[in-house]
Amino acid sequence: MNFILETLQVLLMSIWYNLESFVHLFVPRRRKNIEGEVVLISGAGSGIGRLMAQEFAALNTVLVLWDINQEGMKETARLAKESGASRVHYYLCDCSDKNEVYRVADQVKREVGDVSILVNNAGIVTGKKFMDSPDSLIEKTMEVNTMAHFWTYKAFLPAMIANNHGHLVSIASSAGLISCNGLADYCASKFAAVGFAESVGLELLATGKDGVKTTIVCPYFINTGMFDGCQTKWPTMLPILDPNYVAKKIITAVLTDQVFLLLPKTMYLITALKTVLQWKLFSLFGSYLGLSVEVDCQTFPSRHLKLQ
Amino acid sequence: MIIIAFEFLVVILKVLWAFVTAGCKWVVRPKEKSVAGQVCVITGAGSGLGRLFAKEFARRRAILVLWDINSQSNEETAEMVRQIYHELDTPITKDGPVGGVEEVPPFQPQVYTYVCDVGKRENVYATAEKVRREVGNVDILINNAGVVSGHHLLECPDELIERTMVVNCHAHFWTTKAFLPKMLELNHGHIVTVASSLGLFSTAGVEDYCASKFGAIGFHESLSHEIKASEKEGINMTLVCPYLVDTGMFKGCRIRKEIEPFLPPLKPEFCVKQSMRAILTDQPMICTPRIVYMVNFMKSILPFEAIVCMYRFLGADKCMYPFLAQRKEAMNNNEAKNGI
Repeated sequence: MNFILETLQVLLMSIWYNLESFVHLFVPRRRKNIEGEVVLISGAGSGIGRLMAQEFAALNTVLVLWDINQEGMKETARLAKESGASRVHYYLCDCSDKNEVYRVADQVKREVGDVSILVNNAGIVTGKKFMDSPDSLIEKTMEVNTMAHFWTYKAFLPAMIANNHGHLVSIASSAGLISCNGLADYCASKFAAVGFAESVGLELLATGKDGVKTTIVCPYFINTGMFDGCQTKWPTMLPILDPNYVAKKIITAVLTDQVFLLLPKTMYLITALKTVLQWKLFSLFGSYLGLSVEVDCQTFPSRHLKLQ
Repeated sequence: MIIIAFEFLVVILKVLWAFVTAGCKWVVRPKEKSVAGQVCVITGAGSGLGRLFAKEFARRRAILVLWDINSQSNEETAEMVRQIYHELDTPITKDGPVGGVEEVPPFQPQVYTYVCDVGKRENVYATAEKVRREVGNVDILINNAGVVSGHHLLECPDELIERTMVVNCHAHFWTTKAFLPKMLELNHGHIVTVASSLGLFSTAGVEDYCASKFGAIGFHESLSHEIKASEKEGINMTLVCPYLVDTGMFKGCRIRKEIEPFLPPLKPEFCVKQSMRAILTDQPMICTPRIVYMVNFMKSILPFEAIVCMYRFLGADKCMYPFLAQRKEAMNNNEAKNGI
């Protein structure tokens, strides 16, 4: 009898959540107040990291910036201060090095305090066909895009769990949900980042720590220079995104505790189609929509490659 | 504008045709291709699914190249394979073994074993070189080796997390790099990725495993697109995503007891038979049981809260906890025995 009642309860709750989601398409959700929270952003020296730093700064938070690029970080710190951050700290940190991550994390905990919003944003891409990519670059991509998340979570999650308060933001990519031609190692790393963030999110819920939220961001290509040279086939349906728009949407998702954020909205449809269509059919749609980076992205020199 | 409309029309026609062919496949099962005499590399062949794959390919007269980190279990698998070869080559009639008629004996397949730690890049390349010299060109690559740390993330030593990632995900990069060039040259080959349904949707407690399996699937899909774009029609790829298989790897994992009769852990033989059928008919992806497709679909359309609700109901959110507890106890027992 218990089982039947519970089945009914689950069905009703599922319907309720679906309705709630539908309503929230039109009615904006309540935004939480994050004033005074310590926000750590990795890869804050450029691109989305910099824009997010400015957005978080405008909400009166304490910013901790990590990047491998000192100059870029200083500039971000300056812009963040201008936007209204109460305090901005920045640290040089190579996220691919586990020991460095732990060392700098300890430094942050000592000098600033416990991080309550962790934004894993640092990411690199090699942009070569898989067989032409040097092994060291493949390993580097995995280290920065995936493994770095393991280490930062291990460093900062215990405090969040102890306080049952925090927010884990994983800036993955739509290449973490549907794969593209020409980005084999990038897709592997982003899929892994998505799977990891989701798994940790589920673990937190299973252990009753519902004060620690998760947000997984999967944008399509953004116009930050990382994917310079890429063009999409149908710009109306799948545009190259404007970074300011993306940063604003990410902040909104964090403030409303949204778990998955896919940009642009057509991504939701494409992801759903992927699970229901046969492989070959999805591949067909993929080439129709131009989900490929082979033609245009092979010759671009990513500044991130200068890591060597 | 006309070009867009035309292309759209072509796409619609292709979609309809794909549905028709899929429907036909339901009615008339496609013929399984022959792998007799083809060289098949299986990683993690010492136990579990790897061993069963080896036996299945042996029954189909493939030349087997078994890789495993454990030489003893690898040799055991090789012995089983030799037994199967032997049974295939001595047909018994009711009068006893066939003899007297001088027939050209059918092709004699062989099995080769190598000890290899697929998590180490150089080890993979060195072993692949040996295989090329001693056996020949590889036709079928089964990326099956997999490990799990068996700890919650915050209790897991970093080395174990790294180990899970390099064996379950990075190893696929290295084996592909080792064997794909020749496959591309000959325009003939088949790469099979044995992932897991935990690479499509995750659960609590096995964060490293989920990350690595998601990664393996992302790599497999991207590589498929790349191969398709290179227009090498002779190379196929198959992704195998089984639900929980009863090989002992996740011993103790259980979902809610009322649901368990409907979703029991899979029998390894069943899982391998389904996978073999998919591989030999060049199917791009196989999930066993079929309900995994359903879960995957629902995950992509439902809001996260609804999915968590369903996981809780199925007992899937904490299904790994008994497994993790067992592992912890085993480790503590070991430590007590060793007097730590």
